[in-house]
Amino acid sequence: MSDTFEEPAPAKHRSVDPQDENLSRFELVREGARRDGVEIVHYAPRFPIPGTKAERRVERTIALCFLLTGLFGLAFVVIFVAMKFAYTPGNNSAKYFTPLLGVTLGLALLGVGLGVIIWAKKLLPEEVAVEKRHLGGSDPDDKKIMGGQLVHIVDETGVTRRPLLKGALLLGLAPVGLAAIVLPVGGLIKDPHAGGDPLMNTGFDPKNNDGNPVPLVRENGTGIRPEDVSVGGQITAYPGIPDGATNKWADSPILLIHLREDDAQKARDNLARIPLNAPTASDPDGSMWENFVAYSKICTHLGCPASLYEQQTNRLLCPCHQSQFLITDNAKPIFGPATRRLPMLPIIVNDEGFFVARSDFGIPVGPAFWERP
Amino acid sequence: MREPRSRARRRVGTAVRLIAALTLAGGLYAAFAPGVYASADDPPLSQAAQDGKAIFDNSCVSCHGRNAQGVEGRGPSLIGVGSASVEFQVTSGRMPLARQEAQADRKPPQWQGEELDRNARLLGQYIQELGGGPQLPAGDDLAATDDGALARGGELFRVNCSSCHAFSAGGGALSSGKFAPSMQAATDRQIYAAMLSGPQNMPVFGDNQLTPDEKRDIIAYVQNLKEDKDPGGWGLGRFGPVTEGLAIFLVGIVVLAFTALWIAGKS
Repeated sequence: MSDTFEEPAPAKHRSVDPQDENLSRFELVREGARRDGVEIVHYAPRFPIPGTKAERRVERTIALCFLLTGLFGLAFVVIFVAMKFAYTPGNNSAKYFTPLLGVTLGLALLGVGLGVIIWAKKLLPEEVAVEKRHLGGSDPDDKKIMGGQLVHIVDETGVTRRPLLKGALLLGLAPVGLAAIVLPVGGLIKDPHAGGDPLMNTGFDPKNNDGNPVPLVRENGTGIRPEDVSVGGQITAYPGIPDGATNKWADSPILLIHLREDDAQKARDNLARIPLNAPTASDPDGSMWENFVAYSKICTHLGCPASLYEQQTNRLLCPCHQSQFLITDNAKPIFGPATRRLPMLPIIVNDEGFFVARSDFGIPVGPAFWERP
Repeated sequence: MREPRSRARRRVGTAVRLIAALTLAGGLYAAFAPGVYASADDPPLSQAAQDGKAIFDNSCVSCHGRNAQGVEGRGPSLIGVGSASVEFQVTSGRMPLARQEAQADRKPPQWQGEELDRNARLLGQYIQELGGGPQLPAGDDLAATDDGALARGGELFRVNCSSCHAFSAGGGALSSGKFAPSMQAATDRQIYAAMLSGPQNMPVFGDNQLTPDEKRDIIAYVQNLKEDKDPGGWGLGRFGPVTEGLAIFLVGIVVLAFTALWIAGKS
């Protein structure tokens, strides 16, 4: 609205006595609005002659809306009560339960809304009311009075000249204020190092298996043999400890990949680039075992499962932010927001022919955290 | 008079000796050369495989090369891929390839109906006899039907398949234009063959990793998922929250905004 607002019809403004017996009800209403700063400048019924054909048609339309509301409301109740919902596979009537409830309730509410809107627009008298716009800040006098009142209240308590009370009040209220903060925030704070260092090691740490190497197992706890994974195949493996495949060890899952001969050779050649994975005098194979390689499944960006394995391009993809890791080069991040390699799990096959982890990951798995070395 | 006759005779003699030498060389080659290739451990192709080879030499040879040994930069060797791979690629229309691109996509197959089945089987037989490889079990209906198959299959699907094909088998994006396809059009045999052969960038799920029974459970689950009606009636490609969120933003909120404008404008 522009600031060049004209005050509405000041000439019409005349003082009205509400106690005046001759005053009509509409004049009373108009005076009430006026006292609130609203001037009703135009007021006329939609249908000056009551009971015309046109008026009755509008009435019938509104009535229809309300009746439809009743009908759909009733249908909602009937469907809810009568239709027994139970999930069964395939295309069957149970699949229409929720949509039907939604449609009937939606149409019921739509009916009320339409009815009320038509009533207001077509039957209620047309009216133009103008409210005087409040310009600028408060009146200077009001500001002065309000300021005086506030200072007066503080002054009355006399805290400025009663230091004992002031100090006691602060000391008394501070813990209460602290309580208001502690209640909501305290629940969010947990000691990440409580119960050992869960962020630094995973279920593959031999200490979880009485100091023995932890086997790689399927979700159902059965061990994995090299011949179980085809060339160009992969399998998700969990630590073979109690609850190893549950959320208790959610950071432990790995992807065990069986590379093709030439890809495996590339991967072996690249092992030396990362000291942690590199072959040493004690294990000439490095962290790989023959053509098998095992990486943490937890993306180093934000911890999604990076388990989309492309067997021809030898990439591991993370579905959340499209990070890509090159399997044949120590899971180097080659695309996307991840900046660190997926940790490699040193694996070996034990005397019984099952995969075990020679040790835990050499570095913490998953995304960064404050104390990450 | 004598000299020219002698020269002519000499010329004829040279020609005769040349022809004799060539005949001998050709004959010797013909006699021994086939023996070099048809070594003892290479049994002759069966009739079906020979028919398959005829189709191969017609439709596939330009990319996969003679004897399916592959052509550098055009098509891989098919030695050892097995008939399962052939059946998957041919019946889903991925092969023959229309053009080289990031990934072969499903399209109407080269042949239709029984001809497709027969040709795929013949081609598969040829590739199988060339280099062996995984084979499909018989029958069109490879889905498990017993109680609990859906539950077991669902669990296996979520562990092994959902990371790429999404929870609802709608597929998803991979790197550089590649993608895991939707399973909506896949038949039992195609799903089984895909697990067994690992087409394109899909990992191989051999029978040691997912037993044939587990594969049948997964197929039962996928087929159930496909037949299942989408709650609300419209799955939006079953891509999940991305398309659904987009639809609500683009359609739902725009409709709400314009309705609000309309109501306000009418007053």
